[in-house]
Amino acid sequence: MTALELIAAATQAVYLAIFVLVVRKVIRRPTVAHVDMALFLGAITVAFVRTRLTGWFGLPDLRIVGIVVTSLIVAMPYLLLRLYDDFSHVPERLRRAAQLGLLVSVLLIAAFDPAPLWASLTLVAYFAVVSSYASLLFLRRARLAQGVTRRRMEAIAAGGGLLAAAIVTAGLGLTLPPDLRGITSGLTQLLALLSGLAFYVGFAPPAILRRAWQEPELRAFLARAAELPRLPTTAEIVAALEEGAGKTVGASARIGLFSGHGTLRYQRPGEAEPIERPSDAYIAGRAFTEQRTVFTAQPAEDDREHAREYAEAGVGAVIATPIVAGTERLGVLTVYAERSPIFAESDMELTRLLAEQAAVILESRALIDEAARVRAQEEATRLKEDFLSAAAHDLKTPLTTLVAQAQFLERKAERDPKAPVDREGLARIVREAKRLTDLVLELLDAARAEQGRLVGDREPVDLVELAREIAERQTEAARIVVEAVAPVIGQYDRHRIAQVIQNLVENALKYGGRTGTITVRVGQNDGEARLSVADQGIGIPPEDLPHIFERFRRGGNVDSRRFTGMGLGLYIVRGIVEQHGGRISVESAPGKGSTFHVALPALDGRMDG
Amino acid sequence: MIAWAGDEPVRGIPETAGPAEAARGGRGRRRPVLVVDDDRSILETVSQILRADGYDVLRATSGREALAHLDRVEPSAVLLDMRMPDVDGWAVARAIAARGRRVPVIVMTAAANARHWAEEIDATAFLAKPFDIDELLTVVERHTRPLA
Repeated sequence: MTALELIAAATQAVYLAIFVLVVRKVIRRPTVAHVDMALFLGAITVAFVRTRLTGWFGLPDLRIVGIVVTSLIVAMPYLLLRLYDDFSHVPERLRRAAQLGLLVSVLLIAAFDPAPLWASLTLVAYFAVVSSYASLLFLRRARLAQGVTRRRMEAIAAGGGLLAAAIVTAGLGLTLPPDLRGITSGLTQLLALLSGLAFYVGFAPPAILRRAWQEPELRAFLARAAELPRLPTTAEIVAALEEGAGKTVGASARIGLFSGHGTLRYQRPGEAEPIERPSDAYIAGRAFTEQRTVFTAQPAEDDREHAREYAEAGVGAVIATPIVAGTERLGVLTVYAERSPIFAESDMELTRLLAEQAAVILESRALIDEAARVRAQEEATRLKEDFLSAAAHDLKTPLTTLVAQAQFLERKAERDPKAPVDREGLARIVREAKRLTDLVLELLDAARAEQGRLVGDREPVDLVELAREIAERQTEAARIVVEAVAPVIGQYDRHRIAQVIQNLVENALKYGGRTGTITVRVGQNDGEARLSVADQGIGIPPEDLPHIFERFRRGGNVDSRRFTGMGLGLYIVRGIVEQHGGRISVESAPGKGSTFHVALPALDGRMDG
Repeated sequence: MIAWAGDEPVRGIPETAGPAEAARGGRGRRRPVLVVDDDRSILETVSQILRADGYDVLRATSGREALAHLDRVEPSAVLLDMRMPDVDGWAVARAIAARGRRVPVIVMTAAANARHWAEEIDATAFLAKPFDIDELLTVVERHTRPLA
């Protein structure tokens, strides 16, 4: 036996083995794909067997047998296309061309004996073109697929390419002198063997191989599982779950979350509106309502109501399984593919496993959300308590003087009604009573700021005029410069806007150093009124800047007992500005002073317009 | 004894000499009481009341000022506000302890947890603001000791 004969024998043995395996699959699960696979491999196997039988036993080489076997071989491209179609959609035109080619080939085979070279070469060309075209088609499809399915499609594409190469080699052999034909025929057989293996792997992968392909994807999915609940939004978690499940099964996956009011909600990150579907509609709805895994290879027939949608989306097979945490029904995981052979029986189990993982992840998310909600509530309560205790502290301070001083004056008067009036003591009482009043008003304003009720009736107000009035009223008016070129008019609550300017100017005087100038600029820009108050004081420490407009200017590192004063002034100022539809900001650097910027909506500056 | 207890007969205007001082008569002068508060109104009012009752009063508007006084004199008691900018009541109390003084410290605070803070610095007594004039005088009387 020569080496070539050895290769030929081995090739045929492997083909025969694969054929037997596929036939076993057909007997176990007679799907269209398995039957087509058996037909395809059967064609070549019959040719081998025939050659062996005539060779070993010297059986008569009947012409009719020759025609049938050769016809079976040339039928291969057509069978291949059928296989492709079981797996993914094959264009109708290509199928028709293959059928026509098959008809012509059979006619040619029947008409000539032996076939002339041109006829043989025509057959070879037809065979090679169809299988390489289909091969390219699959390579492109593979790019869109993922996981197992991608590998299967790549294997099928490789099988098609190898088959085309085998045929071309055989055709080449026809044109060579007979003593060289041995080599080409060996090569042809080897290529045919490889293509057979590739097809086997692609069309009917053994469970072990399938699992080996799925495992790394599943591992990657499980490895990410721990971090998924911490993604910023539920939509992102769902998207990550869909991607992981899709890759693992080798198909597309979608997750619908039960909304609680009879719908399953499908949302992708970035999509404004989720798609809502009744929780008992579609195959997914069936899985959800019946709380079991549903598989269908004909969704259009199983769900006639939505047959068109399945057809239009090119969905030919669906596995849907409920996502359940304990007794709580969270939603449905749906995996769908173009054709049913993409799924194996084990994929039902795999999908269930993925749904369980999804349930764990979504449940963790719910717990994290709940914990965050409780924390936020606790924080809000703590802030409220802090505020109340700060407010109480600040109110008690003037009260201390009021109570003690008033009692003291009362006793003095009781003891000596004729004694001269203690004017200093009285003045102190008046001053502290006024301070208490201001504090109470400030507290009320803070409450209004929180409820968005700071701003009352609006009227046209000239900010320049208002700023000048306020500047002149100050005891240190000489230090204040108001810069403006033209009136700046807007619809404002005059009293409240005056309060804003007053507060900013007072702050500037208080913190702006003893001598520096306070500059108030009023102008208009892009239809907005702009007002700024700048001082030349010590500035605001950078760590305080971000919190300066908050109700509590208090960092987490500040000792609670050092925390004094309500510091509500700027909080109220911000409330007034924002409730006018404006905004406020501050820029400051230590040693360089601070500038507060206020922007408010303005009326058109020209009063005649 | 409590000065100006409600039902006691009027004893005259305590501008220069109060009944407490009268009672101390032969036992010599007391050392001054140091009042520390960053709120000037409270500081003035408390000082005025104590002076009217015959105490010598030293005033400090900050913890720093209080420490300066403590360097020079040994008061018979310190009335101490807790929340003050810069050097606060805790710092003053620590400084007193660090100097090995055994001066009675009376905490004056508007905070809700006055008692807790008093315990924190091992104070002698506390006055929760706003306090009654009698409370003030009673506590100060009880905790100021005459010179030996």
